[in-house]
Amino acid sequence: MSKVKKESRTSGRMLVGTVFIYILLITLAVLSVLPFLVMLVNATRSTPEIQQQALSLVPSSHLITNIKILLGGVFDPVIGFMNSMTISVGSTILGIYFSCLTAYGLVAYDWKLRDGFFAFILCILMIPSTISIIGFYQFVWKLGWTNNLLPLILPSIASPTIVFFMRQYLVATLSMEIVEAARIDGSGEFATFNRIILPIMKPAIATQAIFVFVSSWNNLFLPLVLLTKKELFTMPIMVSLLRGDIYRTELGTVYLGITMTVLPLFVVYFALSKYIIAGVALGGVKE
Amino acid sequence: MKKTKKQYARYGYLFSIPFVVSFLTFNLYPLLYTVVISFTDLKGVAATEFHFLPNLFQNYIDAFNNPSFVTSLKNTVFIWGINFIPQIVLALSLAVWFTNKRMKIKGVGIFKVLFYMPNIITAASIAILFSAFFEAPIGPMNDLLMRLGLSSKTVYFFRDALTSQGIVAFIQFWMWYGVTMIVLIAGINGISPTIFEAAAIDGANGIQTFFMVTFPSLRPILLYTLVTSFVGGMQMFDIPRLLVQRSGPDNATLTTSVYIYNQAFSGSYMFNRAAAASMILFFIIAVCSAILFYIMRDQDAAALKKIQKARAKNEKQARRSGA
Amino acid sequence: MKKKTRNTMALLLTLVMAMSMMAGCGSKKADNNAGGSGPKKTINLWSYTDEVPNMVNRYLELHPEFGEKYEIKTTVIATTEGAYQPALDQAILGGKTDAPDIYAAEAAFVLKYTQGDMASYAMPYSELGIDVDAKIEEAQIAPYTVDIGKRGEDVVGLGFQATGGAVIYRRSLAKEVWGTDDPTEVAAQIGPGWEKFMSAAEEMKAKGYAMVSGGGDLWQVIRNTGEQPWIVDDKLTIDPARDRFMDLHKILYDNGYMNDTTAWSDAWFADMSGTGEREVFCFLGPAWLINYVMASNAGETAGDWAVAVPPEGFFWGGTWLLANKDGNPEVRDGVAELIEWITLDSSDDGLQYSWANGTLFEDNSTKDAVGSGTVMERSNGEIEFLGGQNMFEIFIEAGEYANGKILTQYDETMNQYFIDQSTEYATGSKTKEKAIKDFKQMVSDNLGIAIE
Repeated sequence: MSKVKKESRTSGRMLVGTVFIYILLITLAVLSVLPFLVMLVNATRSTPEIQQQALSLVPSSHLITNIKILLGGVFDPVIGFMNSMTISVGSTILGIYFSCLTAYGLVAYDWKLRDGFFAFILCILMIPSTISIIGFYQFVWKLGWTNNLLPLILPSIASPTIVFFMRQYLVATLSMEIVEAARIDGSGEFATFNRIILPIMKPAIATQAIFVFVSSWNNLFLPLVLLTKKELFTMPIMVSLLRGDIYRTELGTVYLGITMTVLPLFVVYFALSKYIIAGVALGGVKE
Repeated sequence: MKKTKKQYARYGYLFSIPFVVSFLTFNLYPLLYTVVISFTDLKGVAATEFHFLPNLFQNYIDAFNNPSFVTSLKNTVFIWGINFIPQIVLALSLAVWFTNKRMKIKGVGIFKVLFYMPNIITAASIAILFSAFFEAPIGPMNDLLMRLGLSSKTVYFFRDALTSQGIVAFIQFWMWYGVTMIVLIAGINGISPTIFEAAAIDGANGIQTFFMVTFPSLRPILLYTLVTSFVGGMQMFDIPRLLVQRSGPDNATLTTSVYIYNQAFSGSYMFNRAAAASMILFFIIAVCSAILFYIMRDQDAAALKKIQKARAKNEKQARRSGA
Repeated sequence: MKKKTRNTMALLLTLVMAMSMMAGCGSKKADNNAGGSGPKKTINLWSYTDEVPNMVNRYLELHPEFGEKYEIKTTVIATTEGAYQPALDQAILGGKTDAPDIYAAEAAFVLKYTQGDMASYAMPYSELGIDVDAKIEEAQIAPYTVDIGKRGEDVVGLGFQATGGAVIYRRSLAKEVWGTDDPTEVAAQIGPGWEKFMSAAEEMKAKGYAMVSGGGDLWQVIRNTGEQPWIVDDKLTIDPARDRFMDLHKILYDNGYMNDTTAWSDAWFADMSGTGEREVFCFLGPAWLINYVMASNAGETAGDWAVAVPPEGFFWGGTWLLANKDGNPEVRDGVAELIEWITLDSSDDGLQYSWANGTLFEDNSTKDAVGSGTVMERSNGEIEFLGGQNMFEIFIEAGEYANGKILTQYDETMNQYFIDQSTEYATGSKTKEKAIKDFKQMVSDNLGIAIE
């Protein structure tokens, strides 16, 4: 009985609060979407139009022209897409899988070097990348390993950020009873990891997968320096080539290129969003 | 047959091998490169020889005597601060609202998708868009201000230190709040619903549930967010570098990473000084992060134990009440 | 989001992507297999736009026998993320089979490759078998191009596009204020020297016009004038001409002679069509500014412009071609042929002649100023945009005045610092002493140059 009374008293307050929340959400949504709309609209405008008014929500009629310019040059969406895909998918799979493995090792077992190793991983995270990138590309050039997608994929095996996240996630959500149960059933440790732990980590994996994929997809500088052959260009590289000398850049086409680069990211995001939205709860132990 | 803890321990080592191998192969050289040349006089693009400085730490001392470096440190912290505090408050609130089953906000899925979108565009493109937005004397923001009657003269946003810094902070906020929100949601989703139910049964309201149940369980993920945002913030690079042609009035938007980049690529190619500044930045980040970890440390392990205890307790109760 | 909606959207996006992929499949570029006999040698060409590669392709079309001997492998890396130079440097330093044989450098960083850190890798044109001095004389190459491309006594790089600058002014405004729009007379009204320019500005202001769009417009001119480079004896030196720029900048601002715009911004483009705050009398720049920037942004003012000799000579931009001394010796002849055709050939068959007359490609109707004065003299530089004026007359003269002797490899950065501080001073945020002091501090902090 007391519950009913409480609810009606708070419902009034809740209404005001809810309205406020909705206003905030809608404002944020508009703010988040606006730049995309501007980019899409700019893809339909011509260079002088954009030069005179950089941002506009009114589409124009130059989409076809821009497409023609885009495909008439070095830009090859198929190749760019395939290369970007290879690098991004490869980086994501390797990064996620081995980070989960490493994180599991840090949480499920008690071993002497464990805390030191974790601290070490965190330190790697903190290294500013600006100058270590220079060392990295010089290293790759010296090895003659340029024009190869592997140096852009393999290093993801050691991804301190993902390890950190997975470790925190496991600390918060892992119950050793599942593992004990699996051991009793005779499962080996590695098998336990693959069959039982990984599925439990789905929300974490989905979350990080998107981040890794997006950041790998958008990565421009290293691929630009390491890949000089046309057949290996990624999409961001191709978009960068659209900017010629500053006075010859076809701005509308550039925006079109950027839009095309972003589209696959949307698809990936939609595919993975099921796991984020649905909210798989950790209810591993039979309830 | 139960193995002893010791025998399981070796799996800890085993599972860490791929990480270590990859690191040693790919990251060790660049790392050593940075550390070593920070003690040398390596300058210039084609230089292949270098010598260790008579005073090994000369580059480090020079960095601290360099006004631009000191300013860059201050700027980085300031800009990160005014970006992160609103960001974590908003992201946390959103995460809580979106996972709150009682509130039942409509369109949660769509909102989550939309809020993450700013992160998908590259920083370079965002910088162009925002810099065009705040252009003077003719530009959309100025247009808006004039029409709303808030300003009679053109505002040169990028000629003023505070507005420049504010805009950079805002862009960082805008780019990352969705990400932070999603991370926190993942964290909240990982908390067992039985705990929430137990709290509901005990009659806890929204605020109590948040502070007593959600927040403690979320601490490990919060720590992650705090640390990665801090590390990322201290290394803020793309936006400050690309937004304003230079580093804003009197280096207002000069962040440490941009300073490092400038040392290396402004024309003098002083890689040694850039490396030394990188090492200093690294130490600052490491020390501050260590402090953060220390503050949250006990709660980290305690959170683990607490949850496991709570879960065991609830299961016992459930079993008792006749499942 | 409902499952159905989400699935539909995912499907739509996939469709869009699939369509774009198919469109990409449809546009396979023609193979340039000349199909000759014998093994072809490869020439590695590195550039940051496809301007030079397109020229080379054109050469192959005109000279099929060249294509039978050589195959061109092009590497294009944009300069946007500053990635062209690191990659180029690594490729040159590495010296493997993929090392560039010909590479292009832009005005912003060409000094590094002709006189700076990477200069030792450039091969003098004379060692390629080109009779450089005679050809330069014959073609009347603008001196600044040669000065920039010289390493000591040897020419290691030359540009094909002339980027000597002129004053590009509005005819109608000139007529209104001085009663004439003739280039020689206008030039006499606004120069030589900047005092005349400022008094002309005052006259413009009286009629409600701005003289220039922004302070940067003037800086483009003044930054390369003067006698001394930024660095003398390893120390920072501020040439009096550059120092005076700050004063001129302040005069522009205080007297309202400009619209205070930043180059490449909305407002700057608006001034080209006269739709900015006030109509602007002139811009200052080379031929490419007219052809590629103003032409498409001038709106209704097209045809109302003309060019005249500026108060002081200057140049802005340009591309230089260099040969790698460590390149493949077997292709040296081919490299020499290409370089000569592009930079020194002043005959009707040379690149520059067709470039100047807009006949290089079938659909290329833009005429551009070229490095060879001889070619420009023979060419028709009349364009509608300038009301039918032959722009080459002015640009030949302009090229002579441009100064290429006082550049350093730090210029790009230092010029930016200087205009920034000047803006602070001109707009009243700082005193001139402080602006200069801060400029020096920035140079010391970021470039490690002694400022004393």
